[in-house]
Amino acid sequence: MSNSRVIILTHDTLEAIGLKYVLSDVFAINAHIADDGYFSNFNLSIEPHLFFIDKATLVANLAFFLPRKSKIIVLTAGNEVIEDIKTLNTSISESDIINALSQLLETNHNEEKPSTTLSSREIEVLRLIALGKINKEIAQELNISINTVLTHRKNLTAKLGIKSVSGLSFYAMMNGIV
Amino acid sequence: MALINRDSKLSEIILHDPSTITVLDRFGIALGVGDTTIEEACTQHNIDVNFFVTILNTFINENYFPQQALEQFEVSEIVEYLSKTNSYYEHYILPNIERHFSFLISRAPSHNNNIIIMKQFFDEMKNELLQRINDDRDRLFPEVISNGKTLTTISEPSHTETETYTIEDKIDDLINMIVMHLKGDYDHNLGYAVIVAIFSLKKDIKQNNRIRRRILLPIYNSLTPQDE
Repeated sequence: MSNSRVIILTHDTLEAIGLKYVLSDVFAINAHIADDGYFSNFNLSIEPHLFFIDKATLVANLAFFLPRKSKIIVLTAGNEVIEDIKTLNTSISESDIINALSQLLETNHNEEKPSTTLSSREIEVLRLIALGKINKEIAQELNISINTVLTHRKNLTAKLGIKSVSGLSFYAMMNGIV
Repeated sequence: MALINRDSKLSEIILHDPSTITVLDRFGIALGVGDTTIEEACTQHNIDVNFFVTILNTFINENYFPQQALEQFEVSEIVEYLSKTNSYYEHYILPNIERHFSFLISRAPSHNNNIIIMKQFFDEMKNELLQRINDDRDRLFPEVISNGKTLTTISEPSHTETETYTIEDKIDDLINMIVMHLKGDYDHNLGYAVIVAIFSLKKDIKQNNRIRRRILLPIYNSLTPQDE
């Protein structure tokens, strides 16, 4: 889950701070604590992955949250059930909260699992890198721009965790690409 | 860990970060440290306390780099330390990784050739590092020693240090290759031994490279006439 796209919106500031701390300390998620000004400044281009809100915030902004039902977790002070919406009971013990959070975050995470396989174009670029071709030659051979070659290389490094040319070549050998 | 100082106990430093054992060894301090403090150990072994504390702190804390403090030391002191780290790579850690790798290959089923290919990549990185170590010994260190006195005049770092990045890059690649792409049957314990040994090389070389890049190479470049 990408950082800072988790929003906490609750009137209980101490609760917000506590949640932010647990998310960062236990789950390495950097959440942002927002206030009521959030909706007037809402920027559509950075759609958050997840909202932690209290019930009052939900009720006051139903038009905003109903289309985002799958992305909200409502903080409740007891064992309250809200139809179709995930909740987190904030008055249970610390370890229960962490367990509940880890389940909530897991279901959320699975919905957006990134692909780790290489596209056929990336494999083609990888093959040419392994054959010792430089960017310009790869661009000519595949009839694409150098910028596109660079993008493919960036994606290869991100997916494989390998950046040196010889590392990529050995990876290609291991996987029968050359 | 908080920064250590001359009153810190050696035992506490080692217990906090066992990889410091090899750094202490470069100063002639072996295990069995009792409850000696840094200052006591330095007096015993005739070590410059400030230098010792600075080196340990840069080793323990990746983000700590006291440029000014390091610039005050004698060139020969820094070169001597770097020579010892080189010798540790050459005679201990590279052979160690190699040994683990060979065991891993010999115990793996013969059709699992991806470990053999990884070993070839390791060999390439190893040869590059050994080449650098030879060049340090035969050229760089003697030249810096014969010309430099103290490290007070330092020019801007130039770009001659790019080679130090590639060795670090290749170690990272090798680690990622094993962590992300190792497949087939292999002895899990030996796989673990290989990766732990490579991690300790990575940590050590990162610190070594920071000292080279930011202290030694600037001195070297200020001594040699530049081409442009």
